Amino acid sequence: MGTTTKLSARLSRMVLFLGLAVVVILQIFPLVWMINFSLLKSGDFFGDALLKWPDSFQWVNYKNAFTLGHVPAYLLNSAIVAVVVIVVTVIVSLMLSYVIARIDWKWNVYLSGLVMVCLIVPIYSTLLPNFFIFNKIHLIDNYFSLILPNIAFLIPLSVFIFIGFLQTTPRAIEEAAVIDGLSLIGVVFRIIMPISKPVIASVAVLAFLNTWNEFIMAITYINSDKYKTLPFSLIQFTGQYASNYGAQFAVMTLIALPSVILYMLFTDQITNSLTAGAVKG
Amino acid sequence: MNKLWMEKRNIALLIAPGLVFILGLILLPTAVALYLSFTNYDGVDYHSVGISNYAEIFFHDPIFWKSLRNAVLLGIAFIALQHPLAIFMAILTTYTGKWERPLRIIIFIPSIISTFVTSQMWVSLLNVQFGLLNRMLTAVGLSSWKQDWLGNPDIAIYSIIFVAMWQGFGYAYLLYYAGIKGIPSELYEAAIVDGASKWRYNKSIVLPLLSPVIRINFVLAIVSGFKQMETVFLMTGGGPANSTQFLGTYLYSKAFRDGMFGYGNAISILFIIFCLVVTLIMNRLLKKDIGEF
Repeated sequence: MGTTTKLSARLSRMVLFLGLAVVVILQIFPLVWMINFSLLKSGDFFGDALLKWPDSFQWVNYKNAFTLGHVPAYLLNSAIVAVVVIVVTVIVSLMLSYVIARIDWKWNVYLSGLVMVCLIVPIYSTLLPNFFIFNKIHLIDNYFSLILPNIAFLIPLSVFIFIGFLQTTPRAIEEAAVIDGLSLIGVVFRIIMPISKPVIASVAVLAFLNTWNEFIMAITYINSDKYKTLPFSLIQFTGQYASNYGAQFAVMTLIALPSVILYMLFTDQITNSLTAGAVKG
Repeated sequence: MNKLWMEKRNIALLIAPGLVFILGLILLPTAVALYLSFTNYDGVDYHSVGISNYAEIFFHDPIFWKSLRNAVLLGIAFIALQHPLAIFMAILTTYTGKWERPLRIIIFIPSIISTFVTSQMWVSLLNVQFGLLNRMLTAVGLSSWKQDWLGNPDIAIYSIIFVAMWQGFGYAYLLYYAGIKGIPSELYEAAIVDGASKWRYNKSIVLPLLSPVIRINFVLAIVSGFKQMETVFLMTGGGPANSTQFLGTYLYSKAFRDGMFGYGNAISILFIIFCLVVTLIMNRLLKKDIGEF
C-alpha cells in the first residue's frame, strides 16, 4: 500500500514536471531558434533541421544587419527617444503623484479620477488625431512625435505605481523638513526623490521597455531616415533584402538583446513594477 | 504648518507638467478625434457630415462588428485558456526549489522582447512553405494537417490568438506568481500542520486568497483583448479578407489604406468608449469582498 502511494506520488510528480517542461520549451524554443538562425547561412532556413549547429558561425549576418539595416543610426535614435521619455516620465509622474498621495485639497478627487480614466484610454485611439495635430503644428517626422505621446501614456501608470509606494512611506521626514523651511518643491526633489530610488528604477525600466518596443507610432509618424528607430532596421529587409534571412534574424536578435539583458540585471525591479498595480488590487 | 503644506503656487507647479501632458496628448487628441469623427476628412480636406460615420459603422459595417467579435474572442481565450494555465504554472513553480528562479525568468522572457520581434519570428515559424510548423508536421507524417496558418481566412484568427496568448503568457504568469508569493507562509505551515495536502492547501487557501488578483487580471485580459493591435498589425495587418481585424488595426486600415480619416476617427472614439465601458462592466461584475490577509 505504502509503495503504491509513493509510486503514484512520484508518477504525478513526473507528469507535473513534464507539463512544466513542455510550457517552458514552448516559451523559450522560438527564441533559441531565432538566435540559431541568426548564425546560419540564409539557405539553411529552407533545410529540414529544427536547429542546426552552424558549420561556420555566420557573423557576416550581424555585419549585414549593421550595414544594410542601419542598426547603429537607428539604435542611437531609439536610445535618444528612450532616455528623454524615461527622464521626463519619472520627474513629471513623481511630482504629480506626490500631490495626489500627500496633499489634502479638494481637487485631488478629480485629479486621481482623471489619471484613472487615462489609464484605460488605449494609446492607439490617439494615433489618427495626433497624426492630424502633429501635421498641423509641424511636429510630425521628428523625435517629438514619438517622445510626447509615449510620455503622456506612461504617466498614468507611473503615477499609479508612485502613489502605491508613497502610501507605504512615513511622512515624518517630510514634516521635519518643512518645519526646517524646505519648500514643497524642495521636499519632492531633495527628500522624496532619494528615498524613492527603487521605485524610480521600476518606473524607468517600465518606461524603457514600452518606448523601446513601440513601433506603430514610429512607422506612422516617422518618414525621414534621420529619425528612424530600431524597428525600421527590420523593415529594411522587407524589400530587396527579403531573402536575407540570416541578417533578418540577426537584427531581431539585436533588438531583443538589450531588453533581455536589462531583464536579467533588474529581474526583481521589473517584476515589482509590472505587478505593482495588478497584485495590490 | 498647515499653511506651508497648502502652498497653492507650489502645488500648481508640481501638477502642471503632468496635466499638460495628459490634457495635451490624451484629452486634446480625443477631442480632435471626436470632432473629426463628424467629418469626411480624407487627409486633405473635410466638411461636416453629421453622425453619418457612426450610422455607417453601426448599421452597414460588418467588418467593425467582426473586429469587436475578434476582440471578445481573444479576451475569452485569455480567460479560458491562458490564465488557468498561468495560475497552474505559477502554483507549480513554487514547488520547484532551486529551479524556481530560472523558471520564472525563462517563462517571462518572451514578454520582455518587443512584440515587433516576436511577431516577425512567428510569421517565419508559420510560413506556408518554409515555416517550422509545417515542416515539423511533414516530418512526423502529418502533412495533411499542413495549413496556410496566416493566409487562410478561417484559420488566421486562431493563429493570431495563439501567438497573442504566447506573447502575453509570461505577464499573466508573473502576476499570479507575485500574488502567490504575497500569501504569508504561516498559512502554509498552519495548513500542513492541520494535515491538509498540498492539493487541498492550494484549492482551499491559495485560490480564494488569489481571487482579488484573478479578478484584476481578468479585467486586464479582457481589456487587452480590446486593445490588441501590434501583433495583428505585423502578422496579418487585419487580413486575409479582414478576418483578423481588431479595433486598432481596423482604424489604421480605414485611415491609411482607404484614406477615410473621418471614419477612422469615429472608430477611435468608439475604441475609447468600448475600453471604458468594458473596464467598468468587468469591475462591477467581478466586484466581491474578500477577507484581508
